Amino acid sequence: MTAPMINLRQVSKSYDRGGETLKVLQALDFEVASGSFEALMGPSGSGKSTLLNLIAGLDRPTAGTIEVAGTRIDTLGEGALAKWRANTLGFIFQAYNLIPVLTAVENVELPLLLAPVASRERRRRAETALRVVGLEDRSLHYPRQLSGGQEQRVAIARAIVNDPTLLVADEPTGDLDRASADDVLRLLETLNKELKKTIIMVTHDPVAAERATVVRRLDKGSLA
Amino acid sequence: MIPVRYNVRSLAVRKTTTIATAAGIGLVVFVLASSLMLAAGVRKTLGLSGRRDVALVMRKGSDAELGSSIEDPQVGLLGSLSGVRRGPRGALVSGEVIVVAAMEKLGASGVSNVQLRGMTEQSHELRPQFKLVSGRLPRAGADEVLVGQRLRGRFRGLDLDGSFDLRKNRPVKVVGFFSDGGSSYESEVWVDLDVLRTSYRREGFVSSVRVQLESEGKFDGFQALVERDKRLGLQAMREATYFEKQSEGTSLFITVMGSVVSVFFALGAMIGAMITMYAAVASRQREIGTLRALGFSRSAVLGSFLLESVLLATAGGVMGAAASVAMGTVHFSMINYASWSEVVFRFEPTAAILGQSVGFAAVMGLVGGLLPAVRAARIAPAVAMRG
Amino acid sequence: MNLASFAARNVLRNRFRTVLTVLGVAVAVVAFLLLRTVVYAWTMAADFAAKDRVVTRHKVTFIMTLPKRYVDDVRTAPGIKVVTFANWFGGKDPKHDTEFFSAVAVDTKSFFQVYDEMRVADADLERWQTDRSGAIVGDVLAKKLGWHVGDKVTLESGIYPDDPQNPWTFTIDGIYTAMAKSVDRSTFVFHWDRLNDRIATRGQNEVGWIVSRVDDPRHVAETSLALDRLFDDREVQTLSQDEGAFNASFLAGFSAVLRAIDVVSLVILVIMTLILGNTVAMGVRERTNEYGVLRAIGFFPRHIAAFVLGEAVVTGCVGGVLGIVLAYPLIERGMGRWLEENMGVMFPYFRIETSMVAVALGASVVLAGAAAAIPAWRASRLRVTDALRRVA
Repeated sequence: MTAPMINLRQVSKSYDRGGETLKVLQALDFEVASGSFEALMGPSGSGKSTLLNLIAGLDRPTAGTIEVAGTRIDTLGEGALAKWRANTLGFIFQAYNLIPVLTAVENVELPLLLAPVASRERRRRAETALRVVGLEDRSLHYPRQLSGGQEQRVAIARAIVNDPTLLVADEPTGDLDRASADDVLRLLETLNKELKKTIIMVTHDPVAAERATVVRRLDKGSLA
Repeated sequence: MIPVRYNVRSLAVRKTTTIATAAGIGLVVFVLASSLMLAAGVRKTLGLSGRRDVALVMRKGSDAELGSSIEDPQVGLLGSLSGVRRGPRGALVSGEVIVVAAMEKLGASGVSNVQLRGMTEQSHELRPQFKLVSGRLPRAGADEVLVGQRLRGRFRGLDLDGSFDLRKNRPVKVVGFFSDGGSSYESEVWVDLDVLRTSYRREGFVSSVRVQLESEGKFDGFQALVERDKRLGLQAMREATYFEKQSEGTSLFITVMGSVVSVFFALGAMIGAMITMYAAVASRQREIGTLRALGFSRSAVLGSFLLESVLLATAGGVMGAAASVAMGTVHFSMINYASWSEVVFRFEPTAAILGQSVGFAAVMGLVGGLLPAVRAARIAPAVAMRG
Repeated sequence: MNLASFAARNVLRNRFRTVLTVLGVAVAVVAFLLLRTVVYAWTMAADFAAKDRVVTRHKVTFIMTLPKRYVDDVRTAPGIKVVTFANWFGGKDPKHDTEFFSAVAVDTKSFFQVYDEMRVADADLERWQTDRSGAIVGDVLAKKLGWHVGDKVTLESGIYPDDPQNPWTFTIDGIYTAMAKSVDRSTFVFHWDRLNDRIATRGQNEVGWIVSRVDDPRHVAETSLALDRLFDDREVQTLSQDEGAFNASFLAGFSAVLRAIDVVSLVILVIMTLILGNTVAMGVRERTNEYGVLRAIGFFPRHIAAFVLGEAVVTGCVGGVLGIVLAYPLIERGMGRWLEENMGVMFPYFRIETSMVAVALGASVVLAGAAAAIPAWRASRLRVTDALRRVA
């Protein structure tokens, strides 16, 4: 067996909220194997979003070590962390978070602006990513001209354009109707199976969770 | 009606934006109020200088005392006319000489003109507000001068026991300072008439003649007597009128300049208010939709946002007006066009000016807030339901 | 698309607000340029004064005159090229009571030699020199009062007696034009001899001031001092200044006004900064979530700061350029023309100073940057997780 894609050891995370310490995660051990598609479920306040943020390097643990795709990210500086995210990670948000002033293809191209890639090559890769999500005919549309499902698929194209090893999805179907949600989930499955992307997805939706290869439940900061 | 509290709280929540916008409007009001205060100061200083029961006689065609000249015998003649008040030493008539002298400014480079006035024994009686502030009165015929208190310390030599040259090798000593109820005389140096005339080779002439009338009402008769005799070539006007005319140019200049500048500034600040109010409307769409859904009418929403904008601008206006009051302690010296000499003015804060300035701010708020408020009023109740 | 074009795209994000902000900056720039132009026009007479011209007048006061003999003494002094003299007449046209202009009695032979930036046609000049009742007037004055060559005009002086039997009537013999910016184009000049003959014997042969040109402008200060030394022991002492210093001492009386305008022109820049800062802060607040997304997909804090700053600088720059474009017709065509015609004594040349255009543009760019500095810093320092939570 290869080294796990995600490896958390004794991770704690607490917040200061008005003088009170709120312990969200406590001495958590968590592993995700390379190439798996895992769903993370749990009630609000269970700490699943915090866990996702820690994995994505958006937040730092109070204690413990985090290794993702072979890198100790809990010790990286801000700049190195940003670079790591740009190279390793693809993000999918519940609210899609496309930039409204950019067209679909430009939104997809955005992460490539950080890499030393020629502009023609950037455009080519962005178009390829849009083809993967089946929206090549929408490349010049602005986000407001797309449906919710289409927006989320553009967001997925943006997440994969820099060929990351890990996709992090936070309630990717939360804002979508059933049919669109199914499209998105099918797409994630394809990405996992055919492009060998490791995916970790936070969700409330049991139908979405079914698509994952592993389902984990988090409650009050520890795995159930 | 949507309660005002709602607007006040909304302004308080967006603290930075509210302060930036109000400060912009406050600065405009500060500039406007200051220039109006200065114009009022000019009018007041020169307005206080003249009396309605004193006639000022000058050569016909002269706009100012400086350019006018009257021969000595005519002074006596004027005193003998009817309507002139008589005192223990005869008719209350004072022929005075006006000259200007270039003096070195302190605290600024270069020289500037100071008005010197040759005074007679009667001169003080024609100026009932005259008061010695420090030092003593000059002795008659001595090379001693009295200095208006506003000039104190502004020119080299104009200090108690200081001295300056009337002409080469003719120094005069400052023996006292006087006040005159805030009039422009406080920006003059008073010298003995004959001392001044011999120094400036003006023997036998005076610049102007002041005549104390028995009452205000005697002026028209007196004026007719003076101007009827064409050989005299003289004209009479009320002293008050003379100074009012002097203040016209300067105060008009300041008012026009201040207003033009304020209009430009107001345009800028109004755009600032508009930006702020549009942002307020945009970020509260759902709130507004909810209010509409709750049954508030379009006009209530319109009124509420207009009120908010006016509140914002008025707050700025009050800050600006308050700051401008501090200008009241500043002295502002400037050439008076009519006499070509420096007169020291003050910023004169009046309730009317402060009121007008705050009102101007409120209007800025109203105009700047109108379009955003209209947009707010157009928001449909259904917006409340949208995500 | 690249980073710059992405940033540029955001300038037009809230198109309406950007337009308003640009307008606000433009208005501020117009107001700033207007104020600076007032100061410039006012002080220009001093800056553009002929460097080789010396004015000699009474040491104590400009209202007293000098003996005419002094003119000859100045003429024979070392280093002096050509000399002229003049008396102030005041004067106004009773038909145009409110129009103020300078009427001056001058020496016909030398006046236009000393003031060679005032040009008169040779034929007109010759006719005027032999016509004792003739006058030469500035083109702006002539146009405003509707005077033409050959017209007869009557003036009143506030200083010299008006005699109904012998009015001050002049024939307009010529109209001068200005070859330099600092020339008042509303002056009225006539024969000094005519004025002198009308004055009572006592005050005759007195001149208001003497103007001379020196051989070498580099020695103008020494020459001035030498002139004053020449008269130091005579009956009247003099004060000689080169034209620049003379004008500067006249301006000193308005120094408080100039300082006030300086302060006010800074105030408008502060207002502009507030407007810009407000816009930037609002943009940042609304886009916090988006900055979170950018950070999450790997953009650096400095990228975010650069976006915020760049947007503000572009807005400030566009506003500045628009303001300058608006200011030229407004100030030079509109107000400038009016002021030159009606207040030519104070503002002979009311035009925008070129270097001030650069200052205005620089100020709008730099102040935009300054206004955006704090919001940019804050935006770059946002925690990604907080930013993502924020919904616009």
